[in-house]
Amino acid sequence: MIEPAREWARRYGALIRNAWLVDLQYRASIVLWMLWGVTEPAIALGIWWAIAGEGQVGGYARADFARYFFAVMLINQLTIAWDSWYLDRWIREGELNFRLVRPLHPAHEAVAENIAYKARTASVILLVWLLVAAAWPAVRLPFTPGRWVVTLFAVLLAAAMRFFISFTTGLLAFWTSRATAIMELHAGVSLFLAGRIAPLALLPPAVAGVAGALWFRSMLSFPVDLLTGAVHGTDAVVRGLGGQAMWLAFWIAACRIAWSRGVRRYGAVGG
Amino acid sequence: MKARWLRVLGAFWRLNVVEELQYRANFVASVLGTLFNMATALLTVALFFRHTAALGGWDYWEIVVLLGVFNALTGVIEAVLRPGIGQLAEEVRGGELDLVLVKPVDPQAFVSFRRLDVWRFTDVVLGLGLAGYALARLGRVPTLPQLAAFAVALAAAAVVVYAIWVALMSLAFWFVSVENIAVLFDAVYEGARYPVSAYPGALRFLFVYLIPIAWTTTIPASALTGRLRPELALVAALVAAVAFAVARVVWRAALKRYAGASG
Repeated sequence: MIEPAREWARRYGALIRNAWLVDLQYRASIVLWMLWGVTEPAIALGIWWAIAGEGQVGGYARADFARYFFAVMLINQLTIAWDSWYLDRWIREGELNFRLVRPLHPAHEAVAENIAYKARTASVILLVWLLVAAAWPAVRLPFTPGRWVVTLFAVLLAAAMRFFISFTTGLLAFWTSRATAIMELHAGVSLFLAGRIAPLALLPPAVAGVAGALWFRSMLSFPVDLLTGAVHGTDAVVRGLGGQAMWLAFWIAACRIAWSRGVRRYGAVGG
Repeated sequence: MKARWLRVLGAFWRLNVVEELQYRANFVASVLGTLFNMATALLTVALFFRHTAALGGWDYWEIVVLLGVFNALTGVIEAVLRPGIGQLAEEVRGGELDLVLVKPVDPQAFVSFRRLDVWRFTDVVLGLGLAGYALARLGRVPTLPQLAAFAVALAAAAVVVYAIWVALMSLAFWFVSVENIAVLFDAVYEGARYPVSAYPGALRFLFVYLIPIAWTTTIPASALTGRLRPELALVAALVAAVAFAVARVVWRAALKRYAGASG
């Protein structure tokens, strides 16, 4: 039991180190991607800020919007997964070939890349948040360490789920040349359903209901609401985490099916 | 000189269109993608208007006019700028720019206009269609001076967008290893989705004077809805001329740094 665990730690150590060094070469590019990632919530915040004025919108005052969208910036960066784009390229251009002959499933390399990338970028966003909070009380969170620990757990579940969604969608490249278009469609829908453009509480109730019934709330909105304190009561927290775990299991299963069926179809182009 | 230029450009574009016509499925995909993006944008605005009656003093259909302009400009960006000057960073990095520089043509013009993604021109049509529909819903028929002002402001907007691309992509000569500089434009252009009056003061200042995206969508849309007097189109043209000149200066300064990287 101990031996395999140590073996995996060694493997992941090497993979993460490698990914970290690769990212180091592209650090300027990564800063630009990060900048691009925070523009959408920043613009949304600007608009809701104007709409809220001195009053409230659906229970949200200006400061609530500020906290919400800062949390979106951080948690979206922590949970976003670009893997469908990589997989699409690996499959179409044959870069999957050498990964298949390694004694390690290619998903592990992708997970390690995600860890290295997010450790770097999310810590920058967190630092910026802290600096902004020093000057601007609106984005300060109340000191609730217990809530932060639970949020961390929810973020891990969300990150894992978004990874499997992205990976599974990328695997569709075994069948279609438009796998990334499907991912963009998913991103467009999640703009609303995952709470990227507004808190789910401001959506029409029926739409918010769909977001909760499917996996979208678990992707981003739930961890964000946890952090800002919009989800309260042990019941609601447990139900949210349960939903996340359930959808994570669903996407892991989908990923396994897509992988085993897809690899059998794979024609291995390129050299 | 002029005529030769046009002949060169004509030849490139003809070749381009012939090439693209082979991939007709891309046309359907491109139109579907645009319709999806337009629907998302409309739903976003509808969501805002569930909670407010006006955004920056604009009502719903006025913002839809602006979204139409946004889409039309997106068409220009995706059809001309991204496949052209958007590839610059990659070429500076790989040294392919050498091949451009030895040609007896103006490098800036060549880099900017050599390739077209013709299918994306449908975005221009769909965007203007959306703007027209929204105008009808507003019950406003633009007067002739308003239409003329809109045409001038829209052309000026295209020039401003082009100038922003040239200035941003010129950064590639200083930051050779950054392959995704085009992302900077996407980040900035995100702000053009809404009228500048909707933003807090500091952002508004930024968008009007420093990164002039206010002139890309807010001004043409205002000209069309009659929010601004038609004379403002002349100011827009002036802004476009200044932006173009600045971009040209930046490009020249940047090109001087190019040392070539191909082997």
